[in-house]
Amino acid sequence: MKRLQFLLKDKLAAASLSILVVTIVAGIFAPLFAPHDPEEVHMELRYAASSWEYLLGNDHLGRCILSRLIFGIRPSVLWVLAALAVSVGIGAILGFIAGYFRGLTDAVVMRICDVMLSFPGYVMTLAVIGILGVGLENILIAFVLMKWAWFTRIIRTSVMQYAESDYVKFSKVLGVSDIKIITKHMVPVSLPDIAVIASSSFGSMILQLSGFSFLGLGIQAPNAEWGMMLNEAREVMFSKPEFMLAPGLTIIVVVSAINFLSDALQVALDPKLLASKYKLQGQGPASTARLQGKEVA
Amino acid sequence: MVSYIIKRSLLSIPLLVIISFLTFGLNNLSPLDPVEVILHAQGVPTITDELIVETKAALGMDRPFLIRYLNWFVSCLQLDFGNSYVTGKTVWSLLAPAFLNTLKLTLISAAAIIALSIGLGVISALREGKMTDKSIRGVSFFLTSMPPYWLAALMVWYFSVQLDLLPTSGMDSYESYILPVIVITISYTGIYFRMVRSSMLSNMNEDYVLYGRASGLPEKKITMHILRNSLQVAISVFCMAIPIILGSTVVVENIFAWPGLGTLSVKSILSRDFPIIQAYVLVLAMAFVLFNTVSDIINAAMNPKLRKGH
Amino acid sequence: MTRKIVVLLSAFIVSIVLLAGCSGGNAAKTGAADSGKELVYATAKDINDMNPHLYPGSLPAQGMVYESLVENTEDGIKPLLAESWDVSEDGKVYTFHLRKDVKFHDGEPFNADAVKQNIEAVQSNASKHSWIKLSTKIVSASVLDEHTFELVLSEPYYPALLELSMTRPYVFISPKDFVNGETKDGVSGHNGTGPYKLSEHKTDQYATFEANENYWGGAPKVNKITAKVLPAGETTFLALQKGEVNFIFTDDRGSDSIDVDAMNQLMDSGDFQLVRSKAMNTKMIVANSSKSDSPAHETAVREAIWYSIDRETISKQIFSGTETAANTLFSSNVNYANVELKKRGFDLDTAKQLLEKAGWMLEKGSEVRTKDGKPLAMKLYYDVSSSSQKTEAEFIQNTLKKVGVQLELIGEESSSIANRRATGDYDLLFNQTWGLAYDPQSTISAFTSESAYYHTTSGISKADELYKNIDEVMVTMDEEKRKSLYADILTIVHDEAVFIPLTNGSVTIVAPTGLQGISFKQTQFELPFEQMYFE
Repeated sequence: MKRLQFLLKDKLAAASLSILVVTIVAGIFAPLFAPHDPEEVHMELRYAASSWEYLLGNDHLGRCILSRLIFGIRPSVLWVLAALAVSVGIGAILGFIAGYFRGLTDAVVMRICDVMLSFPGYVMTLAVIGILGVGLENILIAFVLMKWAWFTRIIRTSVMQYAESDYVKFSKVLGVSDIKIITKHMVPVSLPDIAVIASSSFGSMILQLSGFSFLGLGIQAPNAEWGMMLNEAREVMFSKPEFMLAPGLTIIVVVSAINFLSDALQVALDPKLLASKYKLQGQGPASTARLQGKEVA
Repeated sequence: MVSYIIKRSLLSIPLLVIISFLTFGLNNLSPLDPVEVILHAQGVPTITDELIVETKAALGMDRPFLIRYLNWFVSCLQLDFGNSYVTGKTVWSLLAPAFLNTLKLTLISAAAIIALSIGLGVISALREGKMTDKSIRGVSFFLTSMPPYWLAALMVWYFSVQLDLLPTSGMDSYESYILPVIVITISYTGIYFRMVRSSMLSNMNEDYVLYGRASGLPEKKITMHILRNSLQVAISVFCMAIPIILGSTVVVENIFAWPGLGTLSVKSILSRDFPIIQAYVLVLAMAFVLFNTVSDIINAAMNPKLRKGH
Repeated sequence: MTRKIVVLLSAFIVSIVLLAGCSGGNAAKTGAADSGKELVYATAKDINDMNPHLYPGSLPAQGMVYESLVENTEDGIKPLLAESWDVSEDGKVYTFHLRKDVKFHDGEPFNADAVKQNIEAVQSNASKHSWIKLSTKIVSASVLDEHTFELVLSEPYYPALLELSMTRPYVFISPKDFVNGETKDGVSGHNGTGPYKLSEHKTDQYATFEANENYWGGAPKVNKITAKVLPAGETTFLALQKGEVNFIFTDDRGSDSIDVDAMNQLMDSGDFQLVRSKAMNTKMIVANSSKSDSPAHETAVREAIWYSIDRETISKQIFSGTETAANTLFSSNVNYANVELKKRGFDLDTAKQLLEKAGWMLEKGSEVRTKDGKPLAMKLYYDVSSSSQKTEAEFIQNTLKKVGVQLELIGEESSSIANRRATGDYDLLFNQTWGLAYDPQSTISAFTSESAYYHTTSGISKADELYKNIDEVMVTMDEEKRKSLYADILTIVHDEAVFIPLTNGSVTIVAPTGLQGISFKQTQFELPFEQMYFE
């Protein structure tokens, strides 16, 4: 709670958080917020400029751009969030198991992670789309496939330090069950770490998803999605450049908010943790940075 | 050191084998029967079951999975990835030039990214918390939050249309490199700059800095020390940047009609040309592993402690 | 340590500069479009394999390089590489008198022997050419003398000359380019007899064609033509504006790379002219009647789709009136196609009634009709590089939703769509008739060809009658009989609604204002570049 307050003191972070909350709420309750049906075609309003009725104008089928933006939150943000949650979930479970119990399990899990991590992210996504076909679900599947290994690794590293800490050792000596130690002692302290790494992936995942949709590999018509809307606007990119603006700016605002928040989270949760962590690991900064390097994919 | 290099290189071999196995397996997951596709590509009008069986035998596709895998693996080692379903040309003849074009774009962008992110990262770390730091970070955040294709469109609109300075697309001259390189650089510098900065900062908190200051070393010398130690970390990260960018130029290439891997792979996906997709995945995963190995070796060369650790 | 890093980094940077240097060699080759006597046209796809006896290559490019014996014009069949010809009484023997002054680009003489070798090369790969019925009827090709050539058919075949006039496969490449006496496994060069020679080809970048100075019809005035690969849409528009390309046209797959508004903007600049051919083909949605697990298998469903398409709005809004609404497979100005057929206009109520009658019911609260628990859902494939197809697809998807039909739209490369058409792996897909030179006879004989519309037509109840009529119409020499057979054929496919027409398409050219002599051929697949010249 204290950390949250600390976070909110940072005005930028507070603003970012509220942008995100508004976005997510608007996405969940899209039908309440959207002024029109996002799939309602009005051919006579093709490429109409903004009006009181249609605040952001109409697209190539005369559909309401504002409503499409709002409905677009679902695939562009919410589904990405879901994919992120699934991969963090898998990563957390495996990371805890590997980092806490060590031994053979750890070795096996880590080798599998090595294999997964040796496929660069974009390539993995393209491979999955290539085999399963074009579509939003397949990109999300690819995201989970490529991200879980990375989360497992990071979480394992984080878990390993806490597993070495005195109070965990103490609990073990007292005979507290492993499950209890993990849920009572390990999970709470690792959560901030997990939050930081998850949030830092979120922004890049949104960008990647919209990028694939932009290439026509993502969501299929008539569903609204931001990358897809940009793809449609691209058809008239130079004769009607204003149509690139709304979806483009929306993506920038949301992704910036996520990135700023993630950075603020890191600062709020980490400053002391960071220093002690590096010492524990000996070659700390190197390995963290290297992992980050891989994550960029 | 030599023994480390050998050990590290040997370690990557099982990984390469597993990757090739997975990639081969991937193709078998595809919903199309490769034999039928090949027959269609050859324009055979009526495909009978006998013909499929015959062709299967002729192509060795009726043999067990492992044998097929081995055959495929051996031919891949000879750069024979089969033929494109769509054009009938060999996959290698399509992949090789595309790979080279993407590599050119990647290396130039990587150079720009490295130079920029080191420069900005160092300045920002030394001025931590000051206006310079804040503004560099703010701008870099903003730029990394931009969809690269959107940025690309904007740049084309401004530099090619409004100012009429640069070509819009293609790979005709040196000028064609400018816009794609800028877009890739902008979308990656933010990330690597952050890494250099945080690496600098964590080094600044290390004990040796404290001792250095305590024993009265000049500030310049201390900074050089910090810089040296931080760059050691950075260099292996930068090494990995090359295969990462190599695999992620997809969007930029498609916008600028760059005749590279990204354009080829998207086109192959949209025309369901599986041999090309398969070779693309294989080649890039291999490149990834190789660069990873090299980066580990470089890292070990710079930091002897690590050699024992592994 | 620091030094090591510096050395490493600088070595890296130097190597990059060197590498970039290597790429500089081909700099600025295609950049200059405005040097006066050159045309640089934009193409969404590489020209691909230029082997004229196979099908992956770009038709407009092949049309510049290779020529056929005869030419199809508005006024009928005219001489090209053959100066004249005689047809025997029984219609089985064709004797061609070849031009004597023709050489291939590599200097080889064009003579009866070359013709024979080319035709035999095509025939030895017969399975690929089954769509062109002539290939199944050629019995022998023989040399009578240096410049006289004889073709013997198994039975009289009225479109024989028409099919010989097509861009492929009956065109001629220098026998020196044959590999092992064949062309089916590739060719070693691309020397045709046409007005342009292929001089350079960089896959997925550009291809240049230079004027053939020794062309028998006189050297063409535009001395260089470059095909530059550009993604369709705004990139092409921009490249035109900037002079990186100076010529665009509706390409062989019918994808129109620039939308109407953008085109008008170009015209306003005064630097470009727009030339539109008369209506050449019909753009349509093709339904797979043979896929029994798909709703598209049912006539009622196909008819309902037909009734649910608002062609007037498509014509007016999507094409800004440049394409007119089409209500039949062939417009009535096509030979033999002036047949009285029932008009199915835009009528959602009729569509609903048809579906109800066929047992597709709308459950309360659901948006999609079902029958026996199966939803009324189909996949419609469109060409990703055609923005108008995507817009049309989305528009149609929206109207069909109103009658309880769910369409899933899937964008793919045109080659993949052609492949789906051949394998029958589709419910609905966008397509177009083959153009004036091919309509109706070639398009109709393609109904029976597996690589074309076999899957479209084979599932209808009168399929046998249809195929019998098609076989008959091609061989009958009786004009009246032919007319009535064509009428029967067109009525059957119209009643079954397997070809759902959308609009009548034409070929559009955007060219520099100074370019004269722009004209069209009888086909949408080629342009007579050799007649163009700069003022």
